[in-house]
Amino acid sequence: MGTSSVAVPARGRRGSELWARLLASPWLLLAPAAIALAAVAAYPLIYGVRASFHAYRYGRDVGSAGLENYRAIFEDHTFWTALGTTAKYVALAVSIETLLGLGLALLVASQLRFSRFIRVSLVLPMTVAPVVVGVIWRLMYASDIGVVNPLFSALGLGKPNVLANPGSAFLGVVAVDVWEWTPLLFLIILAGLQSLPQEPIEAARVDGAGPVRVFFDHTLPLLRPVLMVAVVLRLIDAVGTFDQIFVLTKGGPGTATQLISTYSYNTAFQFTQYGRGMAMVVSLLVLVLLLTIVAIKLMRNAAARTSS
Amino acid sequence: MSRERALAVARVAVLGVAIVVALFPFWWMLVTSLKQPVDIFRGVSLVPQHPTGDNYSRLFGDYHMGSFLVNSLIVVTVSVAVSLVLGTLAAYALARFRLRFGLNQSALVAALLVRTLPPILLVIPLYLTLTKYGLLNTRLGLIVIYGGLNTSFVIWMMQSFLEEIPKDIEEAAMVDGDSRLRALFRVVLPLAAPGIAATAIFSVITTYNDFLLALTLTSTPAAQTVPVGVSTLIGKIQIEWGPMAAAGVVGALPIMIFAIIVQRHFVRGLTFGAVK
Amino acid sequence: MTKPNDAFRRDSLGGRLTRRKVIERGAIGAAGLFGAGFLAACGGSSKSSAVTSGSKSAGGSITIGSFQDNAMAPFRDTFIKRFEKETGIKVKYNETSYDAWYQNAKNDGLNKTGAYDIYVMDDNWVPEFAASNIIQNLDEIGFKVNPDILPKGLEQGYWPPKSGPRLKDFANDDPALYAIVIIDDVELLYYHADYFDEAPKTWDDVYSAMKSKAKPPKLYGWSARGVKGNPIVMTYLPLLNSYGGEFVREDWSPGFAGPEGVGALERLMSFIPYMPAGVAEFDTDQETQVLLQGKCMALTEYTGLVHRVDDRKSSQVVGKIKMAATPTQEKSGPAIGTFVCGIASGAQNPEGAKRFLEWFTSSEIQRDFARGDGSAAVTKSALTDPQAVKDFRWLPAIADAVNNSVPKPKTPDEPKFEDILGTHLNQALVEAIQKKSGYTAIAKSHLTKAANEIAQFIKQQGGYV
Repeated sequence: MGTSSVAVPARGRRGSELWARLLASPWLLLAPAAIALAAVAAYPLIYGVRASFHAYRYGRDVGSAGLENYRAIFEDHTFWTALGTTAKYVALAVSIETLLGLGLALLVASQLRFSRFIRVSLVLPMTVAPVVVGVIWRLMYASDIGVVNPLFSALGLGKPNVLANPGSAFLGVVAVDVWEWTPLLFLIILAGLQSLPQEPIEAARVDGAGPVRVFFDHTLPLLRPVLMVAVVLRLIDAVGTFDQIFVLTKGGPGTATQLISTYSYNTAFQFTQYGRGMAMVVSLLVLVLLLTIVAIKLMRNAAARTSS
Repeated sequence: MSRERALAVARVAVLGVAIVVALFPFWWMLVTSLKQPVDIFRGVSLVPQHPTGDNYSRLFGDYHMGSFLVNSLIVVTVSVAVSLVLGTLAAYALARFRLRFGLNQSALVAALLVRTLPPILLVIPLYLTLTKYGLLNTRLGLIVIYGGLNTSFVIWMMQSFLEEIPKDIEEAAMVDGDSRLRALFRVVLPLAAPGIAATAIFSVITTYNDFLLALTLTSTPAAQTVPVGVSTLIGKIQIEWGPMAAAGVVGALPIMIFAIIVQRHFVRGLTFGAVK
Repeated sequence: MTKPNDAFRRDSLGGRLTRRKVIERGAIGAAGLFGAGFLAACGGSSKSSAVTSGSKSAGGSITIGSFQDNAMAPFRDTFIKRFEKETGIKVKYNETSYDAWYQNAKNDGLNKTGAYDIYVMDDNWVPEFAASNIIQNLDEIGFKVNPDILPKGLEQGYWPPKSGPRLKDFANDDPALYAIVIIDDVELLYYHADYFDEAPKTWDDVYSAMKSKAKPPKLYGWSARGVKGNPIVMTYLPLLNSYGGEFVREDWSPGFAGPEGVGALERLMSFIPYMPAGVAEFDTDQETQVLLQGKCMALTEYTGLVHRVDDRKSSQVVGKIKMAATPTQEKSGPAIGTFVCGIASGAQNPEGAKRFLEWFTSSEIQRDFARGDGSAAVTKSALTDPQAVKDFRWLPAIADAVNNSVPKPKTPDEPKFEDILGTHLNQALVEAIQKKSGYTAIAKSHLTKAANEIAQFIKQQGGYV
């Protein structure tokens, strides 16, 4: 941004006039961004939907295939397994994250003295690249060099070999998601808590309501808009989880951690069935679109609330 | 009184555990990156037995980490700069003009839609498209895509920042004889500078961290970015634990620093300005 | 910056002054980064164009891409430098993980990106890469084949295949050379000499030895690559072949779900009590770690491991590990997985690439390849070179294994077959580890599922015959 703010005044009268005219018309201001978004998002989406109706053989488009790709994925039980796993993964991870995030935010909200340090340390997991998160947990889970196995044996729980068994591998990748994204819920909820109107809560307290009562009757309802924003954002994001799975399990063992994202990626790029991969992704898109529409509604409400 | 005290202790304990859980894995990665191969396999040790920088020198020697960092630097800075220019102009239009057909709202919604699309939705068509234009495995290809996608985020963030700057300030300047242009640069953008900085840093973080697009669209160290570089160390034939941990450390460090700088604006960035 | 700023009044944590300072500093830093980025972008683009124009001049440079593998180390560290010195052609060498490289190479070739001149490939990629013209027909560009190369290894580079079932679309084409073998990689049996007087002949011998001597977790009887996909398939194939099963039959129907295939998998399952508990997530690195630490009696692995067993930096069993062809049961069946090289159809310097491959597969270079550190050379003269054999005890085992090896099915869809079979094998292994009994039923059900899925996939592809 420095470039435009510094360069323009120095460019002299002619440049200024051009800029003045540009700035006078909102359409001209919007045009470059609109073109950019159309080029990298709208066009690919349309192209992708089209591709989902085409057959690809060994990487080449061999013409229209009608609904064949969709028929094939609906018959493909791995696709359904992956869809189910995705749903389970998202539901489990996001609900744990919400509960933990809410709990931590409530704890920290009344502990302002340390909150700066706490905030920074709790936030770190979500700042690093998901690939790095995957690397970190490969190092933690590895059955020969990790710390999770020794930790469990020290607690007398045996060696879990987290990534070697379907059940524990699934819980393992969910745990990684929880580790990485609880901070997001925590931060947003904390911000929500700190901007809540204090009067109704104080009033309830004066009336003799216990802390649990106050929380469920007053804090939670007031917090709801913010909470919903956080949860829906996280839901949308979780549906597309790919990086950590790619690094940790590649969908294994068996298909225990195969999500739609990894399965469609493999279908498209490992086996060059772009059309079929795209059909999976388009099916997922319908789901995400529904979620996004809900998200936008909620966010408008929340924005209205917090800024009023 | 004692009950309150017990609660306070419990609270500190819970927070302590949370902080250890959040930070320990980073420590484990750092420690592993400083260990010699034999020590990595010699059971749990929370400090390197014989600290060595070997993994790091191999990372930069054998494993092209230098190229990955340079690629990331170029791709991230150029694409974020482009998206800031495009996005701020658009955001200014949306914040200051009332467009016909209620287009302000629709434009914002469209931008949000783009932002919330998971990359897996776009990666197949983007790959097929880039192929057609010969932009596979080039930094330019990544710059175009990241620059475009990130514009949606800049629009949301900057629109919310610009809207908070009172119109009166700008109008007062214009009454004093400034053109809209002069008013924008003399008054509005300086006031929005912290917002621009926060938006920029956020954009840097998301762009730098992207994996799926870079993984698919690049194939050699001439264009691969840091996250892709990190993933290449997890070979099927050989897992190079030491260099892999070192790569994780190098990959995480710059972003952690950026993140600490903007942590005050995190909530706003993460919710596209919906929660402040 | 003198006006009050409403934007941040709500932020309740921390003072405004320091915050603003921090952000200002951030902005300066970001501006600096932009500047650096622009400069580097300009520098970067001019550099890459220089490389492009350079490679078109005589000699120039070639770019080789590969997966990471221990067997590639001498190729990478010694022979590329030697070639550069002898010819003046610069060689750039990039390696990445196996899956990533498979995709990269394929996508580079399909789109003629020209990022690479030579692809180092696994031999089962040849059908797909040849059928989709990702790699060039070497016969057509006048590649001179060294007649000294072992025929079994050389055959892996032909499309359509010289033997075995063929796709109907290619049934009448003459086989042409698309990729040239550079390393005769085969699976060998590695066994610890302290626990075996001589190489175990059959899988039953292996089992009875571990039954009497193994004491996990101090001493495992066996270790394996159990992770899904290609790795566990590589573990399973030598068993399948020697039990008399086939990956696919002459008519392309899957041939592993019958009693031979089930028996072979049951044999692997019978090793479970004597294998490390995490074996289902093991790939080569973890699999071989236990052997190198002296905690494992035996395993099957490709030839890349020969370079590590006597390397004091990674091995505590220097001189203790012996090699032989993989055990037999009904018949012998080492799996062959040669490394072959193709020339990219979008190669910027195909002449240089051809020159490199002819040079590397010449008898002289192959002899030095074997003499240097006992690499799996591809020529008969190198594998029987007296000096090399004296120094490296495994070379005869390699020659023996290559000559008796069973190739993988020759279809472009073979990687997909491996993916399907490998997923089910992994599931079967995991289930067997958990249930500890009922191996026959587990093996049968998963192998049948895999066979049905492969058959269905073939049908979706329009059928093969």
